[in-house]
Amino acid sequence: MNWFLLGLSVGGAAGALVAVRFWSRRAVDGIVASPAITETVTPPGDAAGLHRSLEALPIGVVAFHADGSVLARNSRADAATGVRHADLLVESTIDRLARAARSGAVAQEQVTLVGPPPRVFAVRAVPVADGGAVVSVEDVTERHRLDAVRTDFVANVSHELRTPVGAVSVLAETLEGEVQDETLLRLVRRMQNETARMTRTIDDLLELSRIEMGGEILVGRVDLAEVARETVDRYADLARAGGVSVAVRSIEGDATVNGDSHQLASVVGNLVENAIKYSTEGGRVLVTVIPSVDRVDVEVHDQGIGIPAASLDRIFERFYRIDKARSRVTGGTGLGLSIVRNIVTNHGGEVNVTSREGEGSIFTVSLPRNGRVLGDILDRDERGPDSDGARG
Amino acid sequence: MDELRKSFHQELDEVRARLAWLAAKVIEAIPRATQVLLNGDLEGADALIKDDDEIDAHSVDLEEKCYQLLALQAPVAGDLRQLVAILKMVGEVERSADLTVNICKAARRIYGHQLDPRMRGLVARMGEQAQQLFVSSLEAFETNDAAKAAAIDDMDSFLDGLQREFVRTIFESHADERIDLQVAIQMAMVARFYERIGDHAVNIGERVRYLVTGWLPEHKGAERWKSSRPEDDTDGLPRIEGFENPSQK
Repeated sequence: MNWFLLGLSVGGAAGALVAVRFWSRRAVDGIVASPAITETVTPPGDAAGLHRSLEALPIGVVAFHADGSVLARNSRADAATGVRHADLLVESTIDRLARAARSGAVAQEQVTLVGPPPRVFAVRAVPVADGGAVVSVEDVTERHRLDAVRTDFVANVSHELRTPVGAVSVLAETLEGEVQDETLLRLVRRMQNETARMTRTIDDLLELSRIEMGGEILVGRVDLAEVARETVDRYADLARAGGVSVAVRSIEGDATVNGDSHQLASVVGNLVENAIKYSTEGGRVLVTVIPSVDRVDVEVHDQGIGIPAASLDRIFERFYRIDKARSRVTGGTGLGLSIVRNIVTNHGGEVNVTSREGEGSIFTVSLPRNGRVLGDILDRDERGPDSDGARG
Repeated sequence: MDELRKSFHQELDEVRARLAWLAAKVIEAIPRATQVLLNGDLEGADALIKDDDEIDAHSVDLEEKCYQLLALQAPVAGDLRQLVAILKMVGEVERSADLTVNICKAARRIYGHQLDPRMRGLVARMGEQAQQLFVSSLEAFETNDAAKAAAIDDMDSFLDGLQREFVRTIFESHADERIDLQVAIQMAMVARFYERIGDHAVNIGERVRYLVTGWLPEHKGAERWKSSRPEDDTDGLPRIEGFENPSQK
């Protein structure tokens, strides 16, 4: 049986613990439906055992006597967030809901804390037959984050894919009755822009899908300092057009890693392109390659508009846009950073960002020097006996 | 110690806990107000403005509880200092909550106007710093840590610096016609609101020092003033029947 939560009962004038009741996950889920739990099972032993059991629970639990004093509580309920002021607010909700439960009503509430750290808790209080109450505190932050990601993804993907299709459709309709050459040309150019945008989005989606599937790639030794220099050369025109200066700084040392040169060039390219696009005129972009014993880091530092703190942990999501209006101007597909993260993860590395609005951003890609790369066609079980150990 | 006094200390603990809860509400309200302002979140503004009523109600209750304890228990020495300090601190916390409401009201007034990234970044930093000051004042209060309380004043200098920088940025943005005059004025007021929240946190810190050591920074100025006057000089000071003139103490 899936025992999940301990129910507590008190007997005797002194409030000594004389019985411990259990109920299953079904009972916890059904807290609203069945306010008083009466099923009694064999007591498991002493108070220390009860305490250990409470501590093992993945949620916070507080059990109250009928007079409102605390019978038992675990440390997850004591310090739900680990931050004093946030814990005080959770604590006050526990007390308030417990009061309601002790008077016989089931009570539940969601506590949303802006933080830092941002957290969402589901607090539920249920009466116990002897007049006491049990309150559970569950951290549902991750569940809420995933809900937000899912909702935004559906909205964003719809926006990114349907907007150009809708635009082409309307432009085609307008084209039908048009006779003036100048207007025709303008409409056709608009249609070409929209189809180019669609093509870019589809190309990026296919690329992302291929990377996510861990598609076949050829891994060799890649010099990230060389990749950085080539990337900066490739984007020199874009930088010049925006009045942004771009430079590379390589710290002395071997900057080679295991990886796919095309994909790693795509990573650095995406970051440099973003840095230029989101810089203001006169801004500087600096790409720094930092080799260390077992890793090589590439930092792309800009002095651009920066990223709001609330968006920092979301910018690697597919189609996530900080500012939809601006993204139309910069012309990205909303998939670039997602591609970056997937490639870096496949290479056994990580990508991080620090940013302040109005001051700029620093994206840091950190790759292991001799990492095993997902999708390496020379690193598969099915490879032939002759290819053993062969690396480019 | 008799039962009555024991009960008084329990009540004093409860009063302290209630003040800590109020401070926690403000610590949470500061970033909420910042988000409202930066995201133009009208719904969030309404929610925060309504929440302030709860803080007002609890502040009034807490003040009344303090008066009740003063009247019925007649505390002395450290206990008296605690209650008087808490009474003062309730006002600081309640006023800080009002300032977060003011930020929300400013957000309503500038709704639809875009702030440039530099201004947005500075608003975020002022919000973080104001919150941090309040976090420190709560920690100092809960742990009776006079040293931590004293450090809050230094932290506030940083917030003051951010406010000055923000005002300069407002002037620049307005000069470059990136924001109109109405938005510029609202944003200057917002900077002032954050700065005042910081000042209230400093005041709480000073009250913590007072309840631990019995000393207030104002004592220094009072000493200076007293020592600068001749012993028999009471000119210009109001005389109140039954009260000793401060210059003659």
